Amino acid sequence: MSLKHTVPEEPRAPSLVPPAVAALLSLLLPGLGQALARSLRRGLLLLFSFLTLGGLLAWRIRLAAPRDEGLVAITRKAFHLQPFLLFNAFLLLLLYLWIAWDAWQTARHAEGAPVGIFALVLIAFFAVGWQVGEIDPIRFVTQLDEAGPPLQRVLWPWERAIEHPQEVQIVSAPILSPCTGEPFEGGQPKEGEPYLLTEPTCGNPSQQDGTPGTTFTLRGFGLKPNSEAEIWWEDPIGNEFRQRQEGEYVTVQTDAQGNFEVQIVMPYRLLPPSAGEGPKIWTVEARQVVSTGQARASKELKLAVEKIIETIFIGMMATFFGILLALPVSFFAARNLMSASPFTLVIYYLTRAVLNIIRSIEPLIWAIIFVIVVGLGPFAGILALTVHSIAALGKLYSESIESIDPGPIEAIQATGANWVQTVRYAVVPQIVPPFVSFTIYRWDINIRMSTIIGFVGGGGIGFLLAQWIRLLDYRAAGIAVWFIAITVAILDYVSAEIRARFV
Amino acid sequence: MLEIRNLTKIYDDGTVALKNVSFTVPDGEFLVIIGLSGSGKSTLLRCINRLIDPTEGQILWNGVDLAQLEGEELRKVRRQIGMIFQHFNLVKRSSVLTNVLTGRLGYLPTWRSLTGRFPADDIQRAWQALERLGIADQAHKRADELSGGQQQRVGIARALMQDPKMILADEPVASLDPVLAHSILQRLESLNREDGITVLCSLHYLDLVQRYATRVIGLRQGELVYEGSREDIRQMTDAQFKEIYGEEAERIGAGGGITGSIQEDSVAGGAA
Repeated sequence: MSLKHTVPEEPRAPSLVPPAVAALLSLLLPGLGQALARSLRRGLLLLFSFLTLGGLLAWRIRLAAPRDEGLVAITRKAFHLQPFLLFNAFLLLLLYLWIAWDAWQTARHAEGAPVGIFALVLIAFFAVGWQVGEIDPIRFVTQLDEAGPPLQRVLWPWERAIEHPQEVQIVSAPILSPCTGEPFEGGQPKEGEPYLLTEPTCGNPSQQDGTPGTTFTLRGFGLKPNSEAEIWWEDPIGNEFRQRQEGEYVTVQTDAQGNFEVQIVMPYRLLPPSAGEGPKIWTVEARQVVSTGQARASKELKLAVEKIIETIFIGMMATFFGILLALPVSFFAARNLMSASPFTLVIYYLTRAVLNIIRSIEPLIWAIIFVIVVGLGPFAGILALTVHSIAALGKLYSESIESIDPGPIEAIQATGANWVQTVRYAVVPQIVPPFVSFTIYRWDINIRMSTIIGFVGGGGIGFLLAQWIRLLDYRAAGIAVWFIAITVAILDYVSAEIRARFV
Repeated sequence: MLEIRNLTKIYDDGTVALKNVSFTVPDGEFLVIIGLSGSGKSTLLRCINRLIDPTEGQILWNGVDLAQLEGEELRKVRRQIGMIFQHFNLVKRSSVLTNVLTGRLGYLPTWRSLTGRFPADDIQRAWQALERLGIADQAHKRADELSGGQQQRVGIARALMQDPKMILADEPVASLDPVLAHSILQRLESLNREDGITVLCSLHYLDLVQRYATRVIGLRQGELVYEGSREDIRQMTDAQFKEIYGEEAERIGAGGGITGSIQEDSVAGGAA
């Protein structure tokens, strides 16, 4: 619109109102002056720009002070909280005054009016966009260093890729709760084996109201010398948990003989009614890591490998099904094949329309739809990517069919070749290279897409990545990111190589 | 002997491309067809080998009416008629050798040609054709890597593979520069003189017409408006030429002085 005003126009008929009146009218209703100065389009454009900008500003002000009442209070609060809104308001005011001045100018000169005002409209929209987008370069710079540690973990996650298996020795002693008055045999000394003794051998757990439970003296004998041991409990229904004292986990150090002694308070534990009434047996344990095995691939690494393989196959299967279905569809979507009769032309337009609609919906949305249909997992991802591939490949294939050069077909026919020979020597050589090229390109895209299709439950490594990011396990997420990057890079290279050879 | 009788072609959209055209071409002639763009030259040539079906009339070639042929019979006749195109119509992504070999398709059974492997005889023949046209060293290049003049020579080699008795050339030099134009037409002339192949060729430039034609016919809006012998055309002035041909006509060199004196291979080498 604004460009049109840069070209010299036909001189307009003289203004209906004098310049001063035009300016005044534009103050009353922005753009009215221009309209009466026989520049209706300019007036309408300015009016709509002004109203849109005003509406946007009002919305942002209300949004900045949602709990206040009254125009003045809202505005004051909004400007106080978001000073940038002041700048927006200033631009709007400037525009308001400029429109009036512009009306005066427009009414005075019959030739094309200056376009500076449209630059101001653009700037005002840009400023609103800046505020709506909450653009804050300062925050970006100041918070960058806080992002350092997690990002470092993502960048070099390999500590998480290996783990050492540990053998844990558990030494335990039973405890009766509550005491029944009869003597209870707790832990007993054993010959040649580590053992645990408690004093007393029965007691009460801590209460919910904070009443401390029985204090036990726990003594261990014959454990691994000079090393740490953790104190654990197993309640009567089999739940295991660590002993805490003053908020800290209790860890003891064994002496040179492998003995230790520690005072512990029996912890609070809510037992369900199904546990039954009456005295029950608890178990107190000392746990020690007695040996550390060879380094081996961690669970995360194994999962990532499994899922990246799944990812690649999701992309592959989707491409395969995509090709199978896109091939027939592409013939219906090629204008040069379908323009023979009105009936085929209708099929052509229908096919094109359906392909365009399918293609305009992102694979992620398709994945959500198919997760509803077939449930979580790779099949949903394959379906989503297949549907999108059919649309994309159908379009690309049909366009390469449309761009066939009819010359060679004519020339091969002229040699006395029959229909089959003509297709073989004039059509196929023209179609195959673009088909191969587009297919490999699509395969490339599908594998890239399959890495994130898991974000919505479509299987593949994206599922792990999303999960690890939400668990703030940045090292594990880093492993997934690395796998994705390596796969995509290799694939990019391979597909570029193959395509270079075919086209 | 080719005899065209009352040939008429009306396209589906009602355009009358040829109106009652009749003429005869004795064997061994180099017949040049002149006329404006859209005067029906291409339609006429394509009617002869039935790339376009004529609406009415007869095309008698050695006593057989080509206009009536269908299917297998038509293809058997087609393979004896080579065709050369303004835009060469090579399969760009195939090799030069493959393009030349497609000239043999009319002689091959379908199953044999599907594999893309041609008989050793035909490959031998293709090399000879390439040799004869001076492009044997380009045989394994993709067709679109060649210069325009070389591509047209591939086109001629393809036609030659058909063992043609007649060659139809549809403005074979219109996309080439004047020097290459002479080079290509000399090839056709040599096929015409040495092998006795009848040539029907549409051309635009008076000096090329004067230099190569043994007979000339002129078309205007689908009607035959001129028929002349070699002598007639030699004596023709520019003004007469323009009268039949239209204002577009022009000479390309000063009196055709550059004819044949330039080494083709150096030209082709420079263009490649």
